[in-house]
Amino acid sequence: MSSIAFFGAIEIGLIYGIVAFGVFITYRMLDFPDLSVESTFPLGGAIAAALVLSGWDPWTATAIAFIGGGIAGMLTAFLSVHCGILNLLAGILTMIAGYSINIRIMGRPNISLLGEANFFAPFTDSGISSFYAQPLVIGVICLLLMALLVWFLLSEVGLALRATGQNPRMLRAQGGNTVAYVYCGVIVSNALVALGGALFTHANGFADVTSGIGTIVFGLAAVILGKTILPGEKIWVMLLACLVGAVLYRLFVALILSSGVFGFYASDLNLMTALLVILALVAPTLRRRWKQRQAAA
Amino acid sequence: MIELKQVAVTFNRGDILEAHALRGITLNIAQGELVTVIGSNGAGKSTLLGTIAGDVEVNRGGSIRIENTEVTHLPAHRRATSVARVFQDPLAGTCANLTIEENMVLAATRGRGRGLNAAVTRRRRDDFRERLSALQLNLENRLQDPVGKLSGGQRQALSLIMATLAGSHILLLDEHTAALDPRMAKYVLELTQRIYQEYQLTVLMITHSMQSALEMGNRLIMLHQGKIIYDVSGEQRQQLTIPDLLNLFSRAAPDVSDTLLFG
Repeated sequence: MSSIAFFGAIEIGLIYGIVAFGVFITYRMLDFPDLSVESTFPLGGAIAAALVLSGWDPWTATAIAFIGGGIAGMLTAFLSVHCGILNLLAGILTMIAGYSINIRIMGRPNISLLGEANFFAPFTDSGISSFYAQPLVIGVICLLLMALLVWFLLSEVGLALRATGQNPRMLRAQGGNTVAYVYCGVIVSNALVALGGALFTHANGFADVTSGIGTIVFGLAAVILGKTILPGEKIWVMLLACLVGAVLYRLFVALILSSGVFGFYASDLNLMTALLVILALVAPTLRRRWKQRQAAA
Repeated sequence: MIELKQVAVTFNRGDILEAHALRGITLNIAQGELVTVIGSNGAGKSTLLGTIAGDVEVNRGGSIRIENTEVTHLPAHRRATSVARVFQDPLAGTCANLTIEENMVLAATRGRGRGLNAAVTRRRRDDFRERLSALQLNLENRLQDPVGKLSGGQRQALSLIMATLAGSHILLLDEHTAALDPRMAKYVLELTQRIYQEYQLTVLMITHSMQSALEMGNRLIMLHQGKIIYDVSGEQRQQLTIPDLLNLFSRAAPDVSDTLLFG
């Protein structure tokens, strides 16, 4: 693997690490499998790209993308909690609606940011190659977000949010408004995913409405892979596992795609990801069965 | 103090499964009373508790007041300020994947605003350790264990301690010893008695055991088909025996055998 491919994989892995944080909050903490991330990832990119194109500062544009993702998450939570739509379906509805909205925001299905103001300019202007600067900046953002999330999830609100996913009846008996915590979690999750989408756009110089396909599975792959590699129930371990899972997953993908030995195309990525997630999900069951058979024999 | 006025509950109204779970219950429970509730399956015991806790919606015309506040239309989480609960299922009252101390923080913040400040603090931890050591179940040394590792009895004992953390005065117990082995059930009942006295609580305790219904507290009510058919307290209650109860019940409901009642 060339060093360009290597740093590229680290960079995109870190970006998907942020997506994995979001998926972790909904899927693992809230027990709310939220498919709206499939549209909030490109939404973040769309907002960032459209704003940069109309002359906004890339950092402000990214902050607005973050908020935009949160608003989309609010829609999903509303559909699920207040309209009584199954959470999976609520996410799908936001995902489908988001596709059209993203094209509206960009005015077309994709935008190139070549020659526009660059998010990484403050760092690359000093002469550092963008191959190192981009993953470094994104890595620092990841660690900052991780610290914020550790603090959030260990707070009283965060604790109640975790209880909402595990035992909503118990939390209500303890005076917790589970509706508010579902909103809170889904909003934060989608804001993070949109932030990931915005950084993806800045790093690659384009926004594309189809870039969201598979986001949920990439996120899940990172969360599940991370949990397998770094097991542990401490919040900071679980969040670090998301990040590690996302980066390793991307390195693995880059290795297979770049080697050429296996005869894979970039378009095989989704299939490979699906297989990886299936494997990771089935492995614990298989291991248990195997152990039982051993014990029986 | 709990005041129920003409509380009726109908499930599946207008449906073929329509069921009148409660039929006009009027009940005043004074501060400091420990009321035991008995009755056959489907008598409406859990529904009665559910209406007070806010899990079950009351038909129009009924009203519920807790500590002189009208709560008839308040959702469960807003009544939790003044009402603590322990469920029959030990899994229901705690979060299995959260630690003992985290579960206790959830209970300690019941009815207060939850903020972005750290949930588990040293002060809280010290307080929890002290309260748990009174249980003599060695839970004070396991604050960071997930509650899922505790036995059913330990979880119910923890739930009772959690019920006292937020300083509320009303405790609702829904057959909280039914899922336990006899030794642990006895322990949990004694603990119930202890915290009832120590925190001067008002307790409503559903039980399937006539013996504990007679041993515990100072008032007993019997439900049948959604109505209170017997309500006894004071000296009369002191002299009551299990055969008396059976007798009372078969007189009120000759159509149901005793085994169905307390089988």
